[in-house]
Formats: sequence, structure tokens, C-alpha cells
Amino acid sequence: MQKGDMFVGWSTKEDIRKRGGSGGLVTSVLAAALDKKLVDAVVVLRKINEFEAVPVITSDVNEVLKSAGSLHSVPSNFAKIIANKNLKVALPAKGCDTRGIIEQSKRNAVSLDNTFIIGLNCGGSMHPSVTREMLEIMYKIKPEDVHGEEIEKGKLIFETKDGKEHAITIDELEEKGYGRRESCRYCMIKIPTNADLACGNWGVVGDLAGKATFVEVNSEKGAKLLQNAIDAGYVQVEKPDEKGVAARAKIKGAMEGLGKKWKDKVFVPMDNRLEYFRKELEHCIDCGACKTVCPTCSCGDVSKCTEYHLRGDAYKMSMYHLIRFLHLADSCIGCGQCSDVCPVDIPLTRLYRRFANPMQEQLKYEPGMDLRKPPYFEAKLEV
Amino acid sequence: MANVYSTICPGCNFGCGLYIRENGNLDVDFRKSSPANSGKLCRFGMSLPRLYTPVRSMVDGKEVELTEAAKDAAKRISASKGSVAFLSFGNTTCEEHLAFGKLGEAYLCTGADFEALPKDTYQTISVGIPYSEIEAAKHIVLFIDPYEQYPLIVRRILSAKKKGAKITSVWWKDLPLADENLRPADVSKLKLSGDSLVIADFHPLSDMENVKNVLSLAKNAGARITFLKPFANSTGAYILSKDAKQKSLVQLVEDINKGAIKTLFCLESDPGEMIPAETLGKLTTLIVQTGMASAITKKAHVVIAHEPLYKKKGTLINNEGRAQSLGGEGTRGLDALGVMAGVKFEFGVLNESVKKTIGINSIDEFTIPKYDRPGYAAPQASVKPVDAKTALVSVFNPFMWFGLPDDNDFVEMNLNTARALKLLKSGTLKIRSNGSAIEKRFKIGPVQENVLLTGRKFGIEKGMLTPVEISR
Repeated sequence: MQKGDMFVGWSTKEDIRKRGGSGGLVTSVLAAALDKKLVDAVVVLRKINEFEAVPVITSDVNEVLKSAGSLHSVPSNFAKIIANKNLKVALPAKGCDTRGIIEQSKRNAVSLDNTFIIGLNCGGSMHPSVTREMLEIMYKIKPEDVHGEEIEKGKLIFETKDGKEHAITIDELEEKGYGRRESCRYCMIKIPTNADLACGNWGVVGDLAGKATFVEVNSEKGAKLLQNAIDAGYVQVEKPDEKGVAARAKIKGAMEGLGKKWKDKVFVPMDNRLEYFRKELEHCIDCGACKTVCPTCSCGDVSKCTEYHLRGDAYKMSMYHLIRFLHLADSCIGCGQCSDVCPVDIPLTRLYRRFANPMQEQLKYEPGMDLRKPPYFEAKLEV
Repeated sequence: MANVYSTICPGCNFGCGLYIRENGNLDVDFRKSSPANSGKLCRFGMSLPRLYTPVRSMVDGKEVELTEAAKDAAKRISASKGSVAFLSFGNTTCEEHLAFGKLGEAYLCTGADFEALPKDTYQTISVGIPYSEIEAAKHIVLFIDPYEQYPLIVRRILSAKKKGAKITSVWWKDLPLADENLRPADVSKLKLSGDSLVIADFHPLSDMENVKNVLSLAKNAGARITFLKPFANSTGAYILSKDAKQKSLVQLVEDINKGAIKTLFCLESDPGEMIPAETLGKLTTLIVQTGMASAITKKAHVVIAHEPLYKKKGTLINNEGRAQSLGGEGTRGLDALGVMAGVKFEFGVLNESVKKTIGINSIDEFTIPKYDRPGYAAPQASVKPVDAKTALVSVFNPFMWFGLPDDNDFVEMNLNTARALKLLKSGTLKIRSNGSAIEKRFKIGPVQENVLLTGRKFGIEKGMLTPVEISR
């Protein structure tokens, strides 16, 4: 097995296949890594209900097995969970998790040699509060009655406890202000080729559709991780159907096209930018949550954005925000975590991307997609 | 590998859900499915690792086990029968509060001055309206600074504004979210209607004439009114104490000063921020039962230390009346109260009693129980005008209630006032009151002339509003 290989695979354990999404391969790869001591710990979501789960670092194989299943309404980011822990760890990661982890490694807070990243294809995640409201208003079902969820052929499908499926197109939901978080809509990383493995159901066709995971091996570490799961008897794989490979590429292309459309729609050029930023930030209460949650920030308590900022200052736009705009111009990965946690609903990701989009395009630098240092770290960017 | 607790922020009665992660240090994590706050936290919520500092049980400065401290406290309470007061602001679970009510029924103090208000206003004060109603309001009138005092209400108000609501502020400074800014002295210009929703707050240091005044204004206009409150379970404490004879903080201070109260038992409450130090110094015995260290635990003769709030098992009731379960398993607080009361408090029995009181069968944070919302007669109020050329106004916020330092060692003032005093940029301002003098940095803001706003206790204050003299 080597970098560039592609497979379709599934868990050998029936209960994981039933509980996990797409044949339970990811859960089994994580469990095998722990079982065979390839890693000290893994990160999983401890599920509370369909709309809530909490990320935990665990060495308990049973906890890993229990975590099986996808949760589109839990928009977490694992990068900071593993930062500064000095652990040999494996974890599932969406594109934005992976980008955050890679950025943390550039800042010496994560060792990539000790981190096995199982990338998850991602069309976007939803905020749980928005999802609950959407279920009641758009689907006319009680959130407590939901048993499972799936995204298929552009539709968001909820299965209720009575076995019925309720489907509405994502386009219709998003037109009404529901559906995916804004940052997910314009995200362009649908298949995380920056992770050690890239896994998902796109490209699984024929009899295996819905029962297996398509895996792309992106690194030697990824090959080691998958081979370990096969050798340990947790996972079975086979070569993918050519039609499947083509279908996967087609879905990726379509999703990226949609992302581009959203990007153009959200980031309409504007005049009076200073007034726009000042107005958006006028409700800021200085909580610092946006910095705390930012998966690319590794400064800790002592950082430029906080050291130069005093609450007693009366600037129309605080030094905290000005410094963060500068910092994130080359480092923002557009994950949306800052907007999620802002207590006064400032669309922070949109503001940061207003700086980051032109800067990153001009410098041909996508943070978290490779190991190049941020341009502002270097005197001259290696292109 | 790390313990993760689903909990509620103790900073105020808003009911913000979060996770506390024990991982060597404490970290906060965002519980995005929480109905009150969607996982969002204010500056104080983000500071919780600083608040939750470990505490140990002590008797006269000597470290002991919890049970020993509780037994010692029981002896002291028994020895000073008739001169013991029991204080709990509402920083603990409903179950503990019920047990506490049984222990301290002879002299129960939640800090609130309900005796100064007509009885028919009790429920309106105790249980606020759902936040969804705030978002749906057409006209919101603020008698608070939401940014400083109850930050998570800001997004609800902004949501209402996006839908077309008009926002009026009656405050000492202009608020960015307000369409209309009135000063407190100009409250007579306020135009309320049946579409208006008044947001005020209620706490142990509230000026009762102001509370009565906003109740009257709302009642006379047919407007709705909701009172925000500063302690995690203020609503629960008030609902569960409804039939108890409650003493106010003012009464407690008076009784300590005249020697009628010699022993004070504080449950998860630090009165040091509200009761003058000389008054506390007159007590012969101070007993503190708590889950975290604070200034008051250093002064106490007996400290009964149990688990912090995030590790407790129990129910909190937020400002909307939403019952919320804490995610911990700890009941050591109940055990200690049982030792002092001479009975064993069963969590299950108390929990059932809480549910019965609020008329629910199970604790479901996503459903707000149906509360009686009785009408009230407009109370007579006699608000006194501010009798001072310059006033220092305390803007009470969670950092102040908990005595937790914050980056706010300054006063906010008007540019014209600063110019009249010829203050220098980056300089300081001298503030004098009652023979005390302090020197503080100042921040220029859209504040009423001759008013200084502070979100920190400087030690010269006399209530919410302190007449001061200022100079360069």
C-alpha cells in the first residue's frame, strides 16, 4: 500500500457496520490504531444526542466503537483539542480540522509525526440550534423524534423514530436561512487530501453503496494506518470501481462549483470597507472566544492581539481586532468556529475572509493545505 | 483521558450551557446545542477557569474533612440559636436550596428585598419571559447595559432589531444597539405601549423605588416586563422561597450592626462584595459552605468545602424559568447541609419536590414550563432625583458579583466632562467621596455628562450611585 492508492472498505464487525456511517471503516481504523498501540489515544465525539456530542481524547476502544456514526449538527474542530498534549494520536478530521492541525504543527503545538489524520469528506456541517429550529419549522418534526440523518443527492434527510424519512433539498433550506453554516457553504475543501487518509461515501457505487467507505491514501502514515486496521482484522478493503472513482471526482467538482458560487454571493465587493468593519464590530464585548476557539491560533495567553489591547482604550475599532485581521490574513482557514461562538453574533469568519481571500489568492497560499510556512513568517514565500 | 462536565455558567441567571474540561488545568468548551446561548459565552463565561479555584474545608484555619467542618458548624449554629442568619443568593442548585431553606427557615436571606415590593409583583420579578419573546418583540426598552451586565441578551435584542424592533435605552450612556437613547433623568419622555417589552434587572443592591417605578411604567402602558438577575439560580431560589419569610440584605446588615445577628452562614454566596467590611467584622462566627475559594473563604471561621458547581448534581432554573440539569454527580453539599440540619437529605426526594413546585414531570431544558404570570397593580414609586453634581455609577456585572478581577481598572466618562477638567490623554482622574480619594484611568465614551461609569468595585462606593468630586 502506498500514497495515491484508492480503496473501498468496510468494518469487519457487524455492529460497527450497522451503527457507523458507510460501513464503519473510520471507526474501525481508529479502534485498530488504539488496539494495536499504533497510537496512545484517539479523539472521538462522545454522542449525547443527535444534535450534541463532545470531543474527547480516549484510550478506551469501547468508547471509540460507541462513537460510530456521523453527526452533521456537531460543528466541532479538533485541532486545539490535541494541541500541546504531546500525544501519539489518531483522529477523524474534516478538511477544516485537518487544516487547523497542520497550522498548529507549523507553530510547534502539534507533531505531525505523531498525529494520524483520518480525513472525512465534508459537504458542510450545521449549527445544532439552527438545526432544531429548522426541524420544527421546515420539516414539521420534533427534534426529539429524530433517529438519524443523511445527506444524499443534494437532500438533507432525517429519519424519525417511526422509521419515516423526511427530505428537503439543501438549496431550499439554505434559501430560507437554514442548512449548512455560512463558512461551510463557501468552503472549497470537500475531500481532505491534506489528511493522511481521505474517507467518505462519494464514489461507493453498485452493491456497496451505503455499505462501504471510499478511501484515498495521501501519505505513508495513511498507508500505515490503514494497513494496521487490515492486519488487525478490523477492516476489509478492495480496489474501487472505475465508475466510482469518476463519480467521486464528479461530486467533488460539483461541490466545489457550488462553493465558488456561494463565495461570489457572500463576498460581494464593497466600497466603504472601514465603516463596514467598524459597524460589524461595534457590539464586541471583548470576550476573547474567537481567539480561544481559533484552530490556527497557538499564542496562548500572551499574544500580540491581547497584549496591545486594553479595555480602557476608546478606539473605534479595537487593537485586538486589527491585529487579528492582520494575523489571520494569511492564516484563516475559514472554519467558522469564531462565528459559531461569538456571543453577539458578529459574522467574524466573513470579516476575516474579507482580508484572507484576496491575500491568500494573491500569495497562492492556502493555510493548512501543505507544510509551507505562512507568508508573513518568511522573508520571501517559496512558490 | 480528561473529565468533561456539561454545566451551566454561574455568572448570571441567563442559563448559558457549556462544558468544563478537566485536563490538568480547567478549560471551557462550547456547548453549541444549549438552548439559552447556543454555546456562546461572555467574557465572564470565558473566565470560569479563573473562578473555579479549589477550596478546602477548614475550622479556625485548620484543614479538616467536610463532615468534621459541617459538625463544627452545626455546634456553632446551635450555640448561637436565635442570632444566626442563613444567606444564599441563588448560586446553587434547587435541591440544595430546598435543604438550605429547611436548615435556615428562622432567618432566611436571598439578598432580595421582596418586603419592599407588593406581594402581587413576586412572580413577575421571579420568573422572566422566554428569550424567544424578546426576539419577537416590536419595541424593547432597556433599563440595563446589556453589553456589560447580561451580554448574552445582546444577540436576542439584535435579532429583534433585525426583524424591525425599535430599541430604546434608558441608561447613563448611549448604547450601540439602541435606536433611541434616553438618560435615566429623562424617563418621563419614555413612550411605552402594549407592544413594548421592558428589560430591567433585580438584585440585592437594586434601588427598590426604581424597581417599583419600572413595574409601574410597564403596567400603566400595558407593556410586558422581564427582570434579569445576577445569580445562576436566582429564579429557582425565588420560586422555592416564595412562601418563606425572607429577609433583605439591608435588613441583614442592620441586624448584624445592632448585634441581633452574630453568626452568618453563607451557602455559595460571598457577601463581601455587598456587605461593608466593618459589618462583617462584627460577626462572632462566619460559616461558609462553597465549592470554590474566594475572599470570603479566607475570612470564614468555618469553611465547608464541597465540589464546585460544575461537578454538582442538581437543577438550576434560568431567567426564562427553564429547568436545567447540571451534568455532575456530586451531592456533598446536600450531605453537609444534612449534617447541620440533623437529617439526611435525599437528592431524589428534593428533586421530585423541585419538579412538583414548577409543575413538570421531568427536567427538559428545551421546554419552558408553563408558569402562572399573574397581573399586578402598579406600585407607587418615589424615585429620588440624583442629588449630586457628579456621580460614580456602578454597573454591576458578573465580575463584580464574584469579586473576580477584570481588565477594567478605569472609569468611563464624557468627552466634555474630561475637557472641562482639562484631563490629559492617557492620564488619570482624581475621584473623591466621603473622605476617600482614588486616582483612576479614564475612557472617553458617549456617557452622560458628569457621570462616571465603572464595572469594578473601587471601595469608595455607597450603593449603585455614589456622589463624588472629580479633578485632574
